[in-house]
Amino acid sequence: MNLTSRRLLAGLLAISTATAATACSSGDEPGATNELTMMVPLFGTAPDPAGEMQKAVEKLAGKKLRITWVPNAEYGDKTNVTLASDKLPDLMVVQDQKGPSFVKAAEAGAFWDLTGKLDKYPNLKPRNEQTRLNSSVNGRTFGVYRVRPLLRSAVLLRKDWLDKLGLRPPKTTDDLYEIAKAFTEKDPDGNGKKDTYGLIIPKWPTPVFNSSNPYNAIDVWFGAPNGFGMRGGRLVPEFDTPEFFAANRYIKKMIDEGLVNRDFATLDTGKWNDPFVQGKGGIIIDVNVRATQLYGLLKEKDPDRYTDMLAMTGNLARPDGQKFSLPFTGYNGVLAISKQTIRTDAQLDEVLKVLDRLASKEGAVLLTNGIEGRNFRVEDGYAVHINEDDPAVKTMNNDVDYAFIQLGTTASVGVGGDAYAWKPASKAEQDNLRLRAELEKLDLQTAVHDPTLPYISPALTAKGATLNPIVTDARVKYLAGEITEEQLKAEIKRWYDSGGSQAVTEFQDLIAKGGN
Amino acid sequence: MATDLAPPEVKAVPAPVRRTRMSPRTALLRYRWLYLMVLPGLAYFLVFKYLPMRGLTIAFQDFVPFLGYEGSQWVGLKHFEELFTGPDFGRLLGNTLILAALTIVFAFPAPIVVALLLNELRLGVLKRAVQSLIYIPHFLSWTIVASLTYLLFSVDYGVIAGLVHGVVGGTRVDYVAQAEWFRPVIVLQTLWKSTGWGTIIYLAALAGVNADLYEAARIDGAGRWRQFWHVTLPAIRPTIVVMAILTSGHLLDNSFEQIWLMTNSLNRSVADVFDTYVYYVGITQGGYSYATAVGLFKGVAGVLLIFGCNWLAKRLGQRGLF
Repeated sequence: MNLTSRRLLAGLLAISTATAATACSSGDEPGATNELTMMVPLFGTAPDPAGEMQKAVEKLAGKKLRITWVPNAEYGDKTNVTLASDKLPDLMVVQDQKGPSFVKAAEAGAFWDLTGKLDKYPNLKPRNEQTRLNSSVNGRTFGVYRVRPLLRSAVLLRKDWLDKLGLRPPKTTDDLYEIAKAFTEKDPDGNGKKDTYGLIIPKWPTPVFNSSNPYNAIDVWFGAPNGFGMRGGRLVPEFDTPEFFAANRYIKKMIDEGLVNRDFATLDTGKWNDPFVQGKGGIIIDVNVRATQLYGLLKEKDPDRYTDMLAMTGNLARPDGQKFSLPFTGYNGVLAISKQTIRTDAQLDEVLKVLDRLASKEGAVLLTNGIEGRNFRVEDGYAVHINEDDPAVKTMNNDVDYAFIQLGTTASVGVGGDAYAWKPASKAEQDNLRLRAELEKLDLQTAVHDPTLPYISPALTAKGATLNPIVTDARVKYLAGEITEEQLKAEIKRWYDSGGSQAVTEFQDLIAKGGN
Repeated sequence: MATDLAPPEVKAVPAPVRRTRMSPRTALLRYRWLYLMVLPGLAYFLVFKYLPMRGLTIAFQDFVPFLGYEGSQWVGLKHFEELFTGPDFGRLLGNTLILAALTIVFAFPAPIVVALLLNELRLGVLKRAVQSLIYIPHFLSWTIVASLTYLLFSVDYGVIAGLVHGVVGGTRVDYVAQAEWFRPVIVLQTLWKSTGWGTIIYLAALAGVNADLYEAARIDGAGRWRQFWHVTLPAIRPTIVVMAILTSGHLLDNSFEQIWLMTNSLNRSVADVFDTYVYYVGITQGGYSYATAVGLFKGVAGVLLIFGCNWLAKRLGQRGLF
């Protein structure tokens, strides 16, 4: 069975990592060397340790780096296995730093508690208070967060359809409904057949309720909390509010009228773009970086017209004009420092100085873009690839895009930070990049943050397998017309009774104690 | 777990003349090549089946990987208590057993029927061609099978879903989403994927039937049906019994990938089985100990089923597995 083989794999990995770690640490005093061991996710082929990029990064870091690159798909399993072994690398990227295995290890003293320690490093000092808070674990900071946009939800629409029907991108949820209706009924592709629809909703892969899916976005737009929120001094979950029901009546209306794909309960997220690109559905509610994917796919389909096929807008106001925006966490995992090999404060200071240099402007450019004059040059504030035919430069580009960018803490995928954004091919795409930045700034003013993000509820962790699917599934059943609103309310009550009440109480206590 | 162990061996009939007993050393020496050949198999079971059982101890702990087996706290039967008294147990057991029952009723006899039909084919070329064709799905991964299913049965673009709708009419049925269609779809997928492969062992058994028996039956005036009933079926009965016992050990093993890929919010209430639950609790939620407890319960139940079926087979006068 699958799990058995996974467990086996885990065991074998543990053995192999243990031997590998022994092999490199033999004879070395921990921390006394001029070398840092790391574990980092990889999205392509592993860089050559003697390659140009690694040499450049080592030069800036001032240390020799011994990096274990782990393919991203296996990173979670490998993290768990590494945490289980007693040979932790000096530094590791921890993607699921709220996961029980990391939290328990950190609380057992496996990693440095960096709370309050980062402020004296100019580039590591958290640049955004909300992100710092989001990335903390029960009030403690166990790593340097890797920045991502704090707000990136967007509505993506077929611009050619809008233009044909004489419509403008939506500002409110009512606009969105009208557009979805027009996309369904007014033949936006002009083929004379009623074969299009409005909104494309996929099956969300995780049963966790507030997982930033289109449903959550609409909940928040209508004024429901993002995950959890304070109402009259009491913490309530997203789904226990009148706004949640208003939002779902709205979605259900669209589904009942055929403005949404009929397979919304089963459509794979990997195929989310397909109906949009093929001209079946015309609206996607997701993150703004999806625009890059869509431009790429539309370009393949119609190289001459693709720049006129995509429109984008940010969060929408609800019918009464009030606007609430769905934010994201602002980070993707942290860089955690092992206490096993980095034992003293002096050693820790040395490691943090290395990280500080990598987080500087120079470091951000190196990790995100590469080496100026070698693989890119700067043009109108954008980075542009050069010497692309040179095999050595090709390798460098791969090393940057699929490997070293993962070490970035102040600039990274989708976040310029101090690094340069790559210059897009067309003006439309450049405008889209600018629009993303504008919308992020604008929508952040109305962002609804989840106050429970910095905290971990033991009840929710222990009973997640039971609790998480209850309301998630009930909502989809309600939308599909299988249960009534009353039955949906009964399911919400079941959530409370199965341990949800306990989770809410725990969160409430933690928030009160944290004083945030 | 232990179900993979014994191949359907035929026990040697005790020889009438007793040989003098060999000392273990002589035996070892005489059959050294045989023992040598057994070694890789033994090593496989030792390394991949028995050594990992050490990890089962975490079912009785609150396991924290960083603290390890020794450092984690012992909690006795806490996780089992949680499982048996928890709100999910009844549903998981029910779903698992229903799928198991459907497997017995549909998927188990299918290869036997197909093998018998193939055996009746006169034309060798046709027989081999059909055989090869129906093997093929066995080599496809569940991911592909699931994708094909979505493609063919999806409510919007599914070819078969469209055909059925064209013939039957009425409202469109979403075969891949609706809870009531989950089990039929799973059974159909299983039949399509594994029937052909399952025929191999029965065809081998059928090939071993002594041709003289058929000739004798014909001389006695038996028609095709009589030959089948009195010669073919008794000949392959031991094989069927052994296969039945082996299958019983896997009854609680629903195919994880298959079910995981077909689950969605609308059908989760009938789709949740022990295997998907273990994955969700253990891998995605980090509840290693609890997940292991569930897995251990399943393993023990599987062993009990094997012993039960073996006992039953012997009671019914058949030769058991051990």
